[in-house]
Amino acid sequence: MSLAAEAFVSQIAEDQILLSDSASSLAVQTFLRMCGLPVQVSCCANAEYMSPSGKVPFIHVGNQVVSELGPIVQFIKAKGHSLSDGLDDVQRAEMKAYMELVNNMLLTAELYIQWCDDYTATEISRPRYSSPYSWPLNHILAYQKQWEVRRKMNAIGWSGKNLEQVYEDVSQCCQALSQRLGTQPYFFNKQPTELDALVFGHLFTILTTQLTNDELAEKVKSYTNLLSFCHRIEQTYFKEHDRESQSGSSRHSKGSLP
Amino acid sequence: MAEPMELLCWGGDWDLPSVHTDSLIVLAYAKFSGAKLAVKSIDWTWRTITASVPQLHYEASTVTEPTQILNFLRKQRFNADYELTAKQGADTMAYIALLEEKLRPALLHTFWVDADNYANLTRPWFTSHSPFPLNFFVPGRQASLALSRILLTKAESPLLNITEVEGKIYSEAKECLNLLSHRLGNFHFFFGDTPTSLDAFVFGHIAPLIKAPLPSGQLQKHLNQLDNLCQFCNTILKNYFNASAEKRTDCSPTAIHDPVDANLQKLTQLVNKESNLIEKMDDNLRSSPQHRPHRH
Repeated sequence: MSLAAEAFVSQIAEDQILLSDSASSLAVQTFLRMCGLPVQVSCCANAEYMSPSGKVPFIHVGNQVVSELGPIVQFIKAKGHSLSDGLDDVQRAEMKAYMELVNNMLLTAELYIQWCDDYTATEISRPRYSSPYSWPLNHILAYQKQWEVRRKMNAIGWSGKNLEQVYEDVSQCCQALSQRLGTQPYFFNKQPTELDALVFGHLFTILTTQLTNDELAEKVKSYTNLLSFCHRIEQTYFKEHDRESQSGSSRHSKGSLP
Repeated sequence: MAEPMELLCWGGDWDLPSVHTDSLIVLAYAKFSGAKLAVKSIDWTWRTITASVPQLHYEASTVTEPTQILNFLRKQRFNADYELTAKQGADTMAYIALLEEKLRPALLHTFWVDADNYANLTRPWFTSHSPFPLNFFVPGRQASLALSRILLTKAESPLLNITEVEGKIYSEAKECLNLLSHRLGNFHFFFGDTPTSLDAFVFGHIAPLIKAPLPSGQLQKHLNQLDNLCQFCNTILKNYFNASAEKRTDCSPTAIHDPVDANLQKLTQLVNKESNLIEKMDDNLRSSPQHRPHRH
């Protein structure tokens, strides 16, 4: 390996983390494993504040800190590891377009469901987000985060949507991904790329997270090739490395790699 | 249809049927799919501040937002995408997401936030096309909406300052334009020989950028170098919006016939090519791996 030190992926703690952050974190872990780099996951409650851009997850290599999948991919590329070198220009354009589709649709839908749907926000998001803090900080931080997310939804025009329309959008996004994937093992045939990591991160988290209802997971499950895609990546990259730690169906594997 | 569908949109200028991106998308798609629309411009009416444009009226139902309007038109059997395969349909969704994420913030910035352009082009245009007393409010409101959208979606700490966000959004927009150019290649349209909804979306986004006489337009200069995209835009204007094409006599994107300006334009293009080459070399140097790349 030409990476001098191990990469530490930092994210929020297990019982505090929410769906969207968990999805992004899993995407980064998958990408690093696909590159064959040693990864160690460390969780802390204030990971959001430690990150240089305010978003989790971020990786910590030597004395450099990089956050979010896009910059991490470029950083790893600068160190000499890349999954998308074999792609020509048109394919690279397609890959970037699909990554934006996932970010635009899936991530925004996840944020909407967590913070703009009152029931989910009250039952799940706010209690989880504020769990490590004591009163009154927990209320303040939870409501602040909710307000921020709602403002953003307003700015991009999602605040006028209701939950049904959001589920419909997720379904269309999954349909597009399913049609693009077809019967191939990965999105760009034989080799996995960062797009595969991103899609796996989001879909796997949606499938394995308990929300107030299962409608989101049902939407994803209706596309069988996406399901088998998730299984395949889980088998290839997570099960074989989980020797000491808990079974591979947990959302985050915490063991360190040899 | 018993009665024609009515579309409300902003008026046209600079050889375009409309100066507003979303309106252009709907107008282009209607032409591609053969839908007859009665186009009503909202200029000089109170709708400039009350209506969310573009808006389609049909038999007492109202549809807004380009994607909703396109879906509605498809349900009315005006479908420009029926020849696409499933994979191409998926690609369309992906590229539209790319346009929205990467290109739209820079477009908003170029027209509404950049001080030069806003003061000399956008605000005067919208002020002159709004009725009194709305002309005091309409441009300002649009500008603050644009700024807040950019800041909320693109500016995360430590990029809280708009000038730092600018660098990021323009480089992403240039990359997006390059990607579109690669994808288009030498073809007339993105999926073969007939235009589809993706062509409408791309046209709606880049046409104002090509045609508007912007005082300070670094993104415009970058776009002018991507010949196939300019050609794409001009082809659509010529074939589908004939009235505007007759006004033009040559193919120069800025439609100014002054020879001095044409020379200046060529010089600017050369200088930009040079600076792009230097940027590319710089990027290559920065991103070259420190150790020999390892393949597994």
